Amino acid sequence: MSELASTWADRFEQWVSSHDAAEQARRRRQFQRFAATGFPGPADEAWHYTDLAAQADAGYQLAGADVAGAEEASTPIAALPGCALLVYRNGVLDRAASSAAAFDGPALAASAAAGSDDDGTQDDGGIDALNAAYASGGLVYTVAAGQRAAQQLQVVLQSQAGDTPLMSHQRHRIVLGAQAEATVLLQFVGHGGPRLTTHVIEVTLAAGARLHLHRLSSETTGATLLTRLDARLDRDAQLHLSGVAVGGGLGRHRADVRLDGSGAELHATSLQVPASGAHVDDLVRVVHAAPHGTSRIVARGIVDAHAKAIFNGRVVVRPGAQKTDSEQRLANLLLSRKAEVNAKPDLEIHADDVKCAHGATVGQLDAVALAYLRSRGIPQAEARALLLRAFATETLERLGWPALQALIAERLGLPADELDLAFGDAE
Amino acid sequence: MAASPDAAATQNIREVTEMVASRKLYSAGFITDIEADKVPPGLSEDVIRLISAKKDEPEWLLNFRLKAYRRWLTMTEPEWANVHYAKVDYQSISYYSQPKSMKDGPKSLDEVDPKLLETYKKLGIPLREQEMLAGVQNVAVDVVFDSVSVGTTFKKKLAEAGVIFCPLSEAVKTHPELVKKYLGSVVPFADNFYAALNTAVFTEGSFVYIPKGTRCPMELSTYFRINERNTGQFERTLIIADEGSHVSYLEGCTAPQRDENQLHAAVVELVALDDAEIKYSTVQNWYPGDEEGRGGIYNFVTKRGDCRGPRSKISWTQVETGSAITWKYPSCILRGDDSVGEFYSVALTNHRQQADTGTKMIHVGKRTKSTIVSKGIAAGRGQQSYRGLVRMLDSAEGARNYTQCDSLLIGDQCGAHTFPYTEVRNPSATLEHEATTSKISDDQLFYCRARGIGEEEAVSMIVNGFCKDVFKELPMEFAVEAQKLLAVSLEGAVG
Repeated sequence: MSELASTWADRFEQWVSSHDAAEQARRRRQFQRFAATGFPGPADEAWHYTDLAAQADAGYQLAGADVAGAEEASTPIAALPGCALLVYRNGVLDRAASSAAAFDGPALAASAAAGSDDDGTQDDGGIDALNAAYASGGLVYTVAAGQRAAQQLQVVLQSQAGDTPLMSHQRHRIVLGAQAEATVLLQFVGHGGPRLTTHVIEVTLAAGARLHLHRLSSETTGATLLTRLDARLDRDAQLHLSGVAVGGGLGRHRADVRLDGSGAELHATSLQVPASGAHVDDLVRVVHAAPHGTSRIVARGIVDAHAKAIFNGRVVVRPGAQKTDSEQRLANLLLSRKAEVNAKPDLEIHADDVKCAHGATVGQLDAVALAYLRSRGIPQAEARALLLRAFATETLERLGWPALQALIAERLGLPADELDLAFGDAE
Repeated sequence: MAASPDAAATQNIREVTEMVASRKLYSAGFITDIEADKVPPGLSEDVIRLISAKKDEPEWLLNFRLKAYRRWLTMTEPEWANVHYAKVDYQSISYYSQPKSMKDGPKSLDEVDPKLLETYKKLGIPLREQEMLAGVQNVAVDVVFDSVSVGTTFKKKLAEAGVIFCPLSEAVKTHPELVKKYLGSVVPFADNFYAALNTAVFTEGSFVYIPKGTRCPMELSTYFRINERNTGQFERTLIIADEGSHVSYLEGCTAPQRDENQLHAAVVELVALDDAEIKYSTVQNWYPGDEEGRGGIYNFVTKRGDCRGPRSKISWTQVETGSAITWKYPSCILRGDDSVGEFYSVALTNHRQQADTGTKMIHVGKRTKSTIVSKGIAAGRGQQSYRGLVRMLDSAEGARNYTQCDSLLIGDQCGAHTFPYTEVRNPSATLEHEATTSKISDDQLFYCRARGIGEEEAVSMIVNGFCKDVFKELPMEFAVEAQKLLAVSLEGAVG
């Protein structure tokens, strides 16, 4: 752990003094917790492959509303058809860019106070404490029991910085009542100079609730994006989680899912396609705390150029969580000598009547398949794209949201429509 | 000769088998009462100098020890392993003990303390018999009793082949150039906390050198045994297989029953040069503590093999049923092109045993291959962890790895955990990892029971079937012992 420079404390004190006394004390406590550990590094098992030590000296300033208003630099937001849209720029809600529909209905509060003091989240190398100390609030999305959200919700979280390194920290909450259903897309975009963004998302699903929660991060160089999901599932609730990482910068995404009620299910899908120079680190940890739970983790990575991809799946079966059915499948394509893949499918099992399996593979494109396609007159580049698309499709198809699938496929350069192959027309 | 060699060999195996099978509690848990020449508890540079002086060591070795000790002082005990235990007080351990009556070293087995021989007899290691049956049994035993070797057999036959097989302390004197060249070259003195401690205070162990193009004429074997109360045993084994040679080494362990925890921090180094092959097999059956988790051995071992030459091969096979806490990762560094690393493991934890074991395969050379087959069995309140690392460096063109680690759970109080680390930096490398965790199949159990097989026996059969992939890699003597050992260790786990 790195010794945290005193400038951090000075800046924090300066900022926190504008709050009321109770708030100050609460945030100060969290800051001290962060200051005690500093930024995590390889010594911390959960951060084995991601070293944030350099972040301590990056000289981040807390982003304010004034910076967020830099309209001319904003990236255009592509709204998915039929979605309610919310746009946050550096942690501040941009009402003009958000669609009015997102504010309809009592279910959605556009901004919230910072997370409560004792939210019970597991310590994550000091980052959760940093987030809690500075948290500026964010999405609070509640769907009442028995309700089904009329629209999918697209939340765009944009980070941007100029020459001054900026940071923003947000806390979000999604609560579904019994038998409620909703779909939420968290889309992380950004551009500009060095910037640190942390997000903590708390999810509570009551009995039988169903949430599709998608994360699409397409940050760019300069970004350090740290997200943390904490989900609690009651009886028979289902969480369909997807995480897609394309683009650059450093991204670390941790999901902690606890199956508290019997029969709860987690279906997690991950696709990592980092750009050159990018570093993406996913940790999905599911805790089976009740019997008859199901968890599926399917992760795929296409790692090329100078990229580094890490996927750590961890299934924990607590004592008494009998009849747990769990499966983890990690597969990676490593396409460059400069790239690196680290896969770690962990199991921690304290009950005997369970079915837990995991598998991990790392390899390259099948030379035979490639040769087959080429022998049928498909040029090397197209054949390669075809195979990559086939590899990614297994995860994309699980999203169950065609518009989102198309958006991701486009970002990947793997268009969803048929490849334009001029069979027979070639000279 | 009283009996034909074959019959005698069979007889010997049967005796060992019966000995293992007949123990209800831990039958090896007796204490031999031999006066020991012991250094007072505690660790300091003085103690290290004393150990070195007692062993009459050259100065370079003493400096090597002191260097390790000074580094050890700056290191902290690792806590990442998934085991929980009362911390070891390193100042309460006596770092050197030597049975007193053997100070001058026995010239032959006749001179060996009769009590000692009796101990081995109880353990079922018929030293005299084996000496008598020289050409038949083909097993040379370098017995380690606490810290001093008491008898080495078959030296003559090995000498004819040019094989050096002797206590490390002897090799320091007779072959200093080999020891100096290879000691600490695979496991550096500051590799980890326990290896540094071992380097500082190691007292005994085996040294094996197989010359160029030689196939070792017999399987080499060392039986370890910890005796004297409160003496941690710090073994140091060094095996060098020169170009084109082949050796199979067996290591088997038992320890007497104790209430206090005993520390064992061994270091094993293997070096395989061009085209050489080393097969290292272990059956570890140290005292695991009683049903409530009192007593038992702490087994914190660093084992590493270095495939230095092209086409070399190192194969680790282990059956781990003993020890209260196990912390052990026999590893292979696949440096030479086309070199091969293998790891076959059966680890069983019953009662309150905890094991964090696995392997590391570091692929450096081109077309290197590694295979990992790990079978973990957890019963009672045992905690079982597989922790494995497969790393393919960017130079490892065309490297391949296959890993299979399965866990079997018996009872609802135990735990089985898997932590596989995979790190790949070469696009032409291929890595596959498969793992399953399940309990003993009710169908299989029912099938056996319906055919009149008792529950305990049925469980034992199923467990043996589960471990078959590993047992078939064991040398014959060990395979028999290992199966029985599993059955004995599982007693009381069902029903």
